[in-house]
Amino acid sequence: MALLSLEQVSVAYDNHFILEDFNLQLEKGQLLSLLGPSGCGKTTTLRLIAGFLNAEQGKFMFSGQDYTHVPVNKRNFGFVFQSYALFPHMSVYDNVAFGLRLRKLKEAEVKKRVLRMLDIVSLNDFEKRLPQSLSGGQRQRVAIARALVIEPDLLLFDEPLSNLDANLRVNMRVEIRRIQQELGITTVYVSHDQEECFSISDQVAVMNQGKIEQLDHPAAIFKYPASEYVARFIGFGNFISFENRNDEGEDIELSTKGFNFQAVKRLNGAGNKGLLGAIRPDDLQLLVNVVDSKLVSNTLPGTVQVSTYLGRSYQYEVETELGTFTVNQEMEEPFRQGQRVTVYFPKEKLVLVQ
Amino acid sequence: MNKRFLYLLLLPGILFLAAFMLIPIMLTIASTFVQDGQLTLEGYLHFFRDGYFNRILFTTLRVSVVTTLVCVVLGYPAAYYISRTSARKKSILLALAIFPLLTSPVVRSFSWMIILGKKGLLNTFLLSTGLIHDPLEIMYTPVAMMVGLVHLFLPLIIITLLGVMENLDYELVLAARSLGASSFTAFRKIIFPLTVPGLIIGSILVFVGSLTAYTTPALLGGKERVISTFLYQNAMTLNDWQAASVIAVIMIVITFVVVGLMNKWANRLNPKG
Ligand SMILES: Nc1ncnc2c1ncn2[C@@H]1O[C@H](COP(=O)(O)OP(=O)(O)OP(=O)(O)O)[C@@H](O)[C@H]1O
Ligand SMILES: [Mg+2]
Repeated sequence: MALLSLEQVSVAYDNHFILEDFNLQLEKGQLLSLLGPSGCGKTTTLRLIAGFLNAEQGKFMFSGQDYTHVPVNKRNFGFVFQSYALFPHMSVYDNVAFGLRLRKLKEAEVKKRVLRMLDIVSLNDFEKRLPQSLSGGQRQRVAIARALVIEPDLLLFDEPLSNLDANLRVNMRVEIRRIQQELGITTVYVSHDQEECFSISDQVAVMNQGKIEQLDHPAAIFKYPASEYVARFIGFGNFISFENRNDEGEDIELSTKGFNFQAVKRLNGAGNKGLLGAIRPDDLQLLVNVVDSKLVSNTLPGTVQVSTYLGRSYQYEVETELGTFTVNQEMEEPFRQGQRVTVYFPKEKLVLVQ
Repeated sequence: MNKRFLYLLLLPGILFLAAFMLIPIMLTIASTFVQDGQLTLEGYLHFFRDGYFNRILFTTLRVSVVTTLVCVVLGYPAAYYISRTSARKKSILLALAIFPLLTSPVVRSFSWMIILGKKGLLNTFLLSTGLIHDPLEIMYTPVAMMVGLVHLFLPLIIITLLGVMENLDYELVLAARSLGASSFTAFRKIIFPLTVPGLIIGSILVFVGSLTAYTTPALLGGKERVISTFLYQNAMTLNDWQAASVIAVIMIVITFVVVGLMNKWANRLNPKG
């Protein structure tokens, strides 16, 4: 049974519903990321779980108990804020010790646990410092230590890395994942950095306007988005609407306006539902030779409209009879504007969404 | 722009302050140490030997301290409430809080006379309910002064505290709550310590304001004197400028000592070091 489950939950600010009939399940020890554009309700979901917000409707079950009306301070969940929210009038030591002292532990025990936790986040010599004398990354680690030291039943992160520079962000996310796995703490993590979500999560939930569009393993979402929305969100920049579909052969046969395409059938049907084809700009290929696309499947003739240098590769906008496609391609000699080319859609990369 | 030129911009202001404030104050202070052409502390000793003056000094300090305490007790929760309400409610409440500042102290004091007087609203009401049988003597006592001064300075402390409370990151409270603190513990360990500096600054403003206020104590105090009214009496009624100067200097010294002490305290408590 799931450790955490939100059942038909609705949350509103001033009668305006942000989450409606929201459902979410999470197994013990897993790290789930909520991913989605700004304003889709990630923070709201997290705050609801933390108990900072109350649900208008629905139930929040945790560990088999009804937590819907359990007050924040009785939940024993750790929360790491985007702003870190360190207590500015307390030293690093006192910040981390705060939760333990409230649990009426003996000062010797508090000390033992705080020091061990500061060791885990590599802040051994910083006990006496005040938060404002720390760097962003150090503050962030204090915030994590403070949330972890109470041995929370659930750990909640709200974009904890967004204030850090790119290098530190990568180091810290590895660190967070290491600590989370080492201590086996069930975690809900919010970010709008896709790479961050994909790299540290067991499960990713892609959200859209207060709903979960798709919940799956990171690799599954990355390769096989289930809906057009998810596909667009994770970078499938090219779409073709097909008119016909035939699943009888080895591959799925598709066609529109006289052009024929094939897409690979996948186990359990991931990325195989619907009539909308989606493919990433990186997965399309441009061929110099112009072929007769009515005869050769998975190709489209087109004209290069725009060519942009991206550093690692060139990005082309190619106009075809089925619309404009974006292609990223690395090459010695770039295509010229106005050049006639063939766009090739590898059948393993073509995904069908609803 | 040239730095020296920027300093030049300060010059008119400095000259004005020097000519009309610094120099007269210096002269006043200097004059208190001279009597019959001789350097002496007699002016001060005379006052501190005088029981009447000591009583006035004591009344003044008592009124100022009580006014400050009452303002803190009334102003703190009000400021906290205002800081936590929605933006629209906030602007209404703030306007209401500031409103007393916009009316003249004379008008305000007369209103209090109507309320607190022997045949005033308060006495009429209490007599009619049978709670008391003889009218209370509130008007022309230190209590009347305190009432007037609290009315005068409450907006000041609310505004000061509001400034501090609005800057307080509410996520700190949420963080404390998620670590297991009840609302009250979160208040005691987070909100209160972080608002102490504002509380001290507000208290200094109210205390110094009460110590030096003239109109309100003069109108509501009747024959009861505080140092400011005593100073005025010496200077204008008795024409004893020497005595008035000595009182003025004592007032300045008390102000500086109190502000200095409270500042020191504020610095020690200031969380940000
Ligand atoms: N206190 C509030 N009062 C009213 N509306 C709010 C409040 N907080 C959030 N909202 C609204 O709720 C919606 C969801 O907000 P939420 O903070 O959950 O978004 P988010 O997914 O975390 O976005 P971001 O990535 O920008 O942090 C937004 O439309 C926002 O305007
Ligand atoms: Mg957010």
